[in-house]
Amino acid sequence: MIISSTTLSVPEFLAATGWEAKPEGLCRGELCVPAPGALANSVVNVTVAAEKLGMPLVHDASHNVWALGVATATGRALASAKAFFPSSLIDAMGRAFDFSSLRGRRIIMVAWASW
Amino acid sequence: MVTVALDINPAHATPWIELAKPTHPSLIDTTHVTDELFGFINVPMAVWIDENGMLVRPAEAASIERSPLRDREVPTGLPPRIEQMYREVKSIPDDSEEYRSAILDWARHGAASKYAMTPEQVVAASQPVSGSQSRAAACFALGEYLHRTVGHDAAVPWWREAHALYPENWTYKRQAWTLVTTPEGATENDLMQGPNEVYTGNWLDDVIAAGGGGSYSVRPQLE
Repeated sequence: MIISSTTLSVPEFLAATGWEAKPEGLCRGELCVPAPGALANSVVNVTVAAEKLGMPLVHDASHNVWALGVATATGRALASAKAFFPSSLIDAMGRAFDFSSLRGRRIIMVAWASW
Repeated sequence: MVTVALDINPAHATPWIELAKPTHPSLIDTTHVTDELFGFINVPMAVWIDENGMLVRPAEAASIERSPLRDREVPTGLPPRIEQMYREVKSIPDDSEEYRSAILDWARHGAASKYAMTPEQVVAASQPVSGSQSRAAACFALGEYLHRTVGHDAAVPWWREAHALYPENWTYKRQAWTLVTTPEGATENDLMQGPNEVYTGNWLDDVIAAGGGGSYSVRPQLE
């Protein structure tokens, strides 16, 4: 997950990570990880949040860009069973796909590749 | 059904999508973000998501059709590496019949299907993730970003690190390998992904190092 700054708005942090910063902690589905210091004045301190979630924060100094790893707070690939649908997926025409169009339907999401 | 192509270059996936003429959403994940969100580490893998947006099965191998390759004898006279690749591919576990039956059961019975897991079960059944594996995700993301914004050479050091940190993630490796082993101007990606001068690994040697084709996939636990 690429981020351009170590301070993000709550929506930006949610879009980048799938974790929502709330007063009670960093939450995904019903799981909330206490994270004092991660949220102040509606701004997420990514360094603090990443530490609380067990997300490595890796910096490429040459290009001044950061990337976050996967949360390891639960030790499993899935921190919660609540699906978080990314907004970055596109169709073959390059158009963003709105997963809300599938709300209320069962989904089998299959990963494949050309390689 | 939603299909997601893990391809950093959409132009590599688009011809296959157009050829298939799918009636379901056929998407492209140019950053492999679904690796991170759902735990994909190879293809094909799938997750099941119920009407309420809850995962009811974690990422697992998702073949629904037995490849004819599995029932063919290894041809004689092949170059040794190709012959070995053939043997390793044939030894990849085939759960396609059981997995297809499970999908049909879920389609018929929904939450009452014995294959639909509770939220606690699905989290517990997802793959373990360590600090180094998590760092690999960040390294792969940096590589993808730099490949897109700077150029391929800038991506290589980060992808090498991702491969070293998380060798079990074949999407990181195969994605990177194919970019250096596909001849310029080729119309399809190179699937052999053999030894090359950029990365220390390659498909065959890494499969053997990991324990052979039998260890290549995350088998669905359907009992």
